[in-house]
Amino acid sequence: MKRNPLILFFIAAIVAVMLFAGIRTARNNRANYPAKGQLIGNLAPDFELPALDGKHLKLSDLRGKAVLLNFWATYCGPCKIEMPWFVELQKEYGPQGFQIVGVAMDDASTEDIAKFAKEMGVNYPILLGQESVGQSYGGVSVLPTTFFLDRDGKLVAREFGLQSRSVFVDHIKRAMSQGHAVQAQK
Amino acid sequence: MKIPLASAFLLFSAWAWAQDDLGSQGPAVKMAPAPLITAVQGKPATVPLSFRVAPGYHINSNKPKSDFLIPTVLKVEATTDIVIGRTTYPEGHDMSFAFAPDEKLNVYTGDFKVDVLVRPLRSVQAGKYIVRGTLKYQACDNSACYPPKQLPISFDVKIAKAPPAPHRNPAQSPHAHH
Repeated sequence: MKRNPLILFFIAAIVAVMLFAGIRTARNNRANYPAKGQLIGNLAPDFELPALDGKHLKLSDLRGKAVLLNFWATYCGPCKIEMPWFVELQKEYGPQGFQIVGVAMDDASTEDIAKFAKEMGVNYPILLGQESVGQSYGGVSVLPTTFFLDRDGKLVAREFGLQSRSVFVDHIKRAMSQGHAVQAQK
Repeated sequence: MKIPLASAFLLFSAWAWAQDDLGSQGPAVKMAPAPLITAVQGKPATVPLSFRVAPGYHINSNKPKSDFLIPTVLKVEATTDIVIGRTTYPEGHDMSFAFAPDEKLNVYTGDFKVDVLVRPLRSVQAGKYIVRGTLKYQACDNSACYPPKQLPISFDVKIAKAPPAPHRNPAQSPHAHH
């Protein structure tokens, strides 16, 4: 009977380790779901969202084009740096079957988002984001977050935070070189 | 008896450690325990609340320089016994960042303090009262921003009885009585 407390301590030690590991694993699964490995190389989660012009845009309707999917917000300073680059890149690569899509993950009003986009001279569709869409992409807890889709709608790259322009160009070229451009011709 | 206690401590530590790890994700603003302020019935008192922005991050000040930026705002819940007065924010620091070297943002970094004016009603009973609220802030680092967050805050206010009003003798006048 005298050993019982020691056994109890031993069991408690094992349970403590399991408890810690379990909570850590649960947190990791939640934070990264779907994990990077699950996203990249797979079909991008489809969605349909309203755009600033009142129309709706369905991501899968862009099949045949390479897509840069940029999650941003009006309060995000680094996002403002990227936007003029995106305007240029849309002009440069758009004719080759490339489309940038901005998703505003914002609490701001539609009017404020539209005003911001106008000030930035945005020449690509801006969609009004929803949390569920961000969650389907693994949770957009960092802005900007940018995904690159090939012409078949598969995710080829993802970038968190502000990157250099050349990083974007490399990903765009890679995205445009993959998949089938057939549907873009219709 | 010591070993079961040690076991319980071990389990609690593991749980707390894991929880702390949860909290370490992403930028954080934390509030230091607020000092216990004593306020006299019917008299105002200032409660200084101290916050700390995690290293490497900044949050907008209460008066950021653009309408698009989200200001740091402390909202204190109204109570029936204590009137919540003016909230005084510190001035932010004008700083430029790598993502916008030509632009100055007005931000809080490191430690900052927000003062809240409280005034217990004259009728409130003496004792300790808890006041709750939230600090809304939006953080960025040098290359990314994070969605707005709301930090729950609370502080205690000890209400002391007001000293008795000085006794006034009625005016003595020879003309007071007819």
